[in-house]
Amino acid sequence: MKGVTLAAAAFLLLVVGSALALRVYRGNKEFKVFLGAFAAAALGYAAAFPLTPPDLGVLPGGWLEPSAPVDFANGLFILALVFHGFWCFAYFACLSPSMGVMVELRARGARGISAEEAIAMQGREEPVNLIFQRRLPKLIAGGYISKEGGAYRLLPPGERVAALGAFLKRLINADAPLVGSRPC
Amino acid sequence: MLKGMVLAWVLVWVWALMQGIVFQLRAPEKAFASMVTWFAPMPVAYVLLHLLTPADLGLLPERFVGGAAALSLLNGLALLVLLFLTGVLFYYHADRSITVRLLIEMARAPQQRMSVDQMQAVCGVEVLMHDRLRTMAMNGFLEERGGGYHLAPKGRLGGVAGAIARRVLAMKAL
Repeated sequence: MKGVTLAAAAFLLLVVGSALALRVYRGNKEFKVFLGAFAAAALGYAAAFPLTPPDLGVLPGGWLEPSAPVDFANGLFILALVFHGFWCFAYFACLSPSMGVMVELRARGARGISAEEAIAMQGREEPVNLIFQRRLPKLIAGGYISKEGGAYRLLPPGERVAALGAFLKRLINADAPLVGSRPC
Repeated sequence: MLKGMVLAWVLVWVWALMQGIVFQLRAPEKAFASMVTWFAPMPVAYVLLHLLTPADLGLLPERFVGGAAALSLLNGLALLVLLFLTGVLFYYHADRSITVRLLIEMARAPQQRMSVDQMQAVCGVEVLMHDRLRTMAMNGFLEERGGGYHLAPKGRLGGVAGAIARRVLAMKAL
């Protein structure tokens, strides 16, 4: 239980640290903040584990794992899984168009929202709507696509990601390339 | 503790395999409900296996065996649930990622080139939002009435969680 207890403390610090870091971060690569926070939490966990007593001064004797490597690996693994969940939740809560609709509806109170209004929230009237404004520059910077004249061309790294994505979609039977059949 | 960890790993792979077969046979409209349904027997199977199998599972080295059985049981159970949730997130990564979808569409386009108009036609905001609104209504987050969408109780909870997360994490929508 020492590993799990330290992992819980590390995760708490990770959440607080990433929330504070996001407030001062000015770029649009938030994943770096999250990964940095996770690296710091994992390092802190790894440093604290050998330096603290097996019972952390508070755990009952029956809660102790006799094998320190198992205890350590278990805590680190749980920390990684919980971090992954937190990371996904943060992106979903802050960036997902679906969550955007729910937050907007909550702010509106009894007033509902039409499909047209929900679409307008995503900047349909702009030449490149919000969905692409965020993604295209990142894909170009990452070397996945390039801009050629008025169009974008897929580059080999992007092709590999597309192949992997198509494979994963086939695994879950979600591969539907036709317009309108199963949109992104 | 290792016994519980091993059993959790084995059972989550059993579930993933079964779920993969289910998805291949018939992609369910309500994917999350399907995943929960097929995962539901796993915690029961886990508890039974933990109670009925020897401490070393017949294969674990002696130095990794020992400690409180109840602790191993609870730790493995928590791990099993966390692994399941990770599997669910994997599904949504694969199914819903707009970026991956965009790259797949580009790979399928003639000469692997697309204009913004073409992107917007296959993966743009109209296509996306109509789908998301329909999915949220189908899954009980929204109610459709009077020509518009309103928050259902489940959606109200989602809205509160989203508003709090947006305030705390301060990530920019763009």
